[in-house]
Amino acid sequence: MTLPGWSKSWEAMLAAALVAELAILGMISPAFLNVENLLFSTSDFAHVIIAAVGLTLVIITAGIDISGVSVMGLASIVMGLAFVAGAPIGLAVVVALATGVAAGAFNGVVVSRTDVNPLVITLATLFLFSGIATGLPTLLDLLGFKAYGAGGFEAYQYEGITGLPKSFTWLGTGSLGWVPVPLIVTIAVALVAGLLLARTRFGRFLYFIGVSAEVARFSGVPVRRTLIGVYAFNGLCAAIAGLVLTAYFTSARSDLGSEALLNIITAVVLGGTSIQGGSGSVLGTFLAGLVLGYLRQGLLALGITSDVVPVIVGALLMGSVALKIGSAALARNRANRAATESGRRAVAATAHPD
Amino acid sequence: MMRVLKSREMLVLGLLVAMILAVATVNKAVLYPITLINIVNSSIFLVLLAIGQMFVVLTRGIDVSVGAIAGIAAVIFGFALNDGVPLPLAMLAAMLTGLVAGAVNGAGVVFVGIPPIIMTLSTLGIYRGLMRVLTGGSWIEEVPQSIKALAVTRVASVPLMVWAVAALILVTAFLLWRIKASRFFYAVGDNREGAYLLGLNVNATEFAAYALSGLFAGMAAIVFVGQIGFVPMQTGQGQELKAIAAVVLGGVSLMGGTGSIWSAVIGALFLTAVDSMMIFLHVPGSWNNAVAGAVLLAVVVSDYLIRRAVRNRQLARRAAEVLGAEAEPATGREVAS
Repeated sequence: MTLPGWSKSWEAMLAAALVAELAILGMISPAFLNVENLLFSTSDFAHVIIAAVGLTLVIITAGIDISGVSVMGLASIVMGLAFVAGAPIGLAVVVALATGVAAGAFNGVVVSRTDVNPLVITLATLFLFSGIATGLPTLLDLLGFKAYGAGGFEAYQYEGITGLPKSFTWLGTGSLGWVPVPLIVTIAVALVAGLLLARTRFGRFLYFIGVSAEVARFSGVPVRRTLIGVYAFNGLCAAIAGLVLTAYFTSARSDLGSEALLNIITAVVLGGTSIQGGSGSVLGTFLAGLVLGYLRQGLLALGITSDVVPVIVGALLMGSVALKIGSAALARNRANRAATESGRRAVAATAHPD
Repeated sequence: MMRVLKSREMLVLGLLVAMILAVATVNKAVLYPITLINIVNSSIFLVLLAIGQMFVVLTRGIDVSVGAIAGIAAVIFGFALNDGVPLPLAMLAAMLTGLVAGAVNGAGVVFVGIPPIIMTLSTLGIYRGLMRVLTGGSWIEEVPQSIKALAVTRVASVPLMVWAVAALILVTAFLLWRIKASRFFYAVGDNREGAYLLGLNVNATEFAAYALSGLFAGMAAIVFVGQIGFVPMQTGQGQELKAIAAVVLGGVSLMGGTGSIWSAVIGALFLTAVDSMMIFLHVPGSWNNAVAGAVLLAVVVSDYLIRRAVRNRQLARRAAEVLGAEAEPATGREVAS
């Protein structure tokens, strides 16, 4: 069998899996295979892909950032509060994005300046950021600032900060022709991240640090600066995801996205990024995000309750990693056997030089 | 003695006492015995989860599924009670559920080689989904209320359940101290290859850690159901992260090999106490997470700074020794060269 090299890549397998998945789901329920439906159902999980793209870059450095889900809520509530305070919506969005970058950079500074495991640091900031996000409105209210919008506290508790202008909710509900805006945002974020990774020195540094931070440092890579940069970028992606979700729900809430952690990490790992760092691609994450998202949509369309979905997602995550481990072991075995064989032949050739 | 006093456990315990005393200057009610008992009482669920987590983290793993295991064990416990199974057997069923769920994690990590965070994240989704599938998404509410007797009956004004957990902790601590094999967890976490070369059964040790983590999550489920008297779908949700935070706070390093059962107990107590202190300071509950996160961050970062300072001082002393040796008359050096 002589397949071209690219078709054996993990991304090609994911693309094939995506096509197969859509075909099977379409066969069972033909209504699912409607182009408009397929395009617009991405709005339900665009935020997962956006956050997963940012996380991919972090995991490539052998780090991890689980605080992104809290940054989503934080960015959402900051945007809402800025809007209630009377800032023009554009400014409110910029403030929210800046909050995301600052939160991510904070993670990056602590990760790069201490030897504490990134998981511990971002676990702490997961609590810290979500606590700030839930606490901020109450604090501002205590200070006499009417933080809850027109409906008061009761309404805020149920629906968050509502009354956001059309120009903002367009981010989550609008479309350009056939393509919904969240999908455009997702593709744009993925393109930027992909270019960063493949076409810039910064991107190569990320892989280098993931293989060995120590060697990278001795080779003159600015490890600290690069790490701060990549965590800040992840914070920015999380903030964008939070804003897209806010616009999609047309209300700013502090707990937006808190359920997405399993899905986000699954998208990254299913996308072929190694949790040990040093390898991974944005395209893989993007495709894996689509596979996961459509799987959920399809299962729901088939009438399977949403309770079963995490079971399937979990099994998929476990299975994909087990598959990779298994195929790597097979390849290693085959390489070993080839090496032994060629060694034996060489010995045989020297023993009987005729 | 000095080593005990300098340990991370004592540092966090000191912080805990200092925090309670500081809050007492604002609100004396904190120091009422009943308040302290209530803090301990509400911490025992997290304490049990954290002890289980400790075994896994000692071996340099991580288990983010403990909350989901507690959830599914609670469901099995509730089902068993509703079917008229006697209480001891129902408890056994809950613990067995936890043990099996933990063993599945262990099998995936040890025998397939899936990285711990991926394996347990997968089972987090699977167990939590199964829990809803089993119950059809509704709470189990008709649990016989006799189960609450353990949590309500007080001996010396401390609930029976707290006595039971305290006894369990002491027994576990004693076993860990007396059984030689318990050192395997430290050896494997500190240096996996070294432990293997010493002839320790590394695979069995890691497997046991995950199984124990599940077992303790099962026991935590019994405590949870006993305390509230029904099984809500949110049982244990988000608690996995709290359990990890607790052991790390108490001094169990995610790099493996350091920490003790007291780390888990004190860390969990601290995190629970933070929540209670907020109430006494009349801070809205919405700030709880922020404070818990800030404390965890402050402790791990200051721990790093202290370690670095100590090491720098050792290096400086060593450098001074070397320089001093070189400055001495050359006799020693000639022998050396």
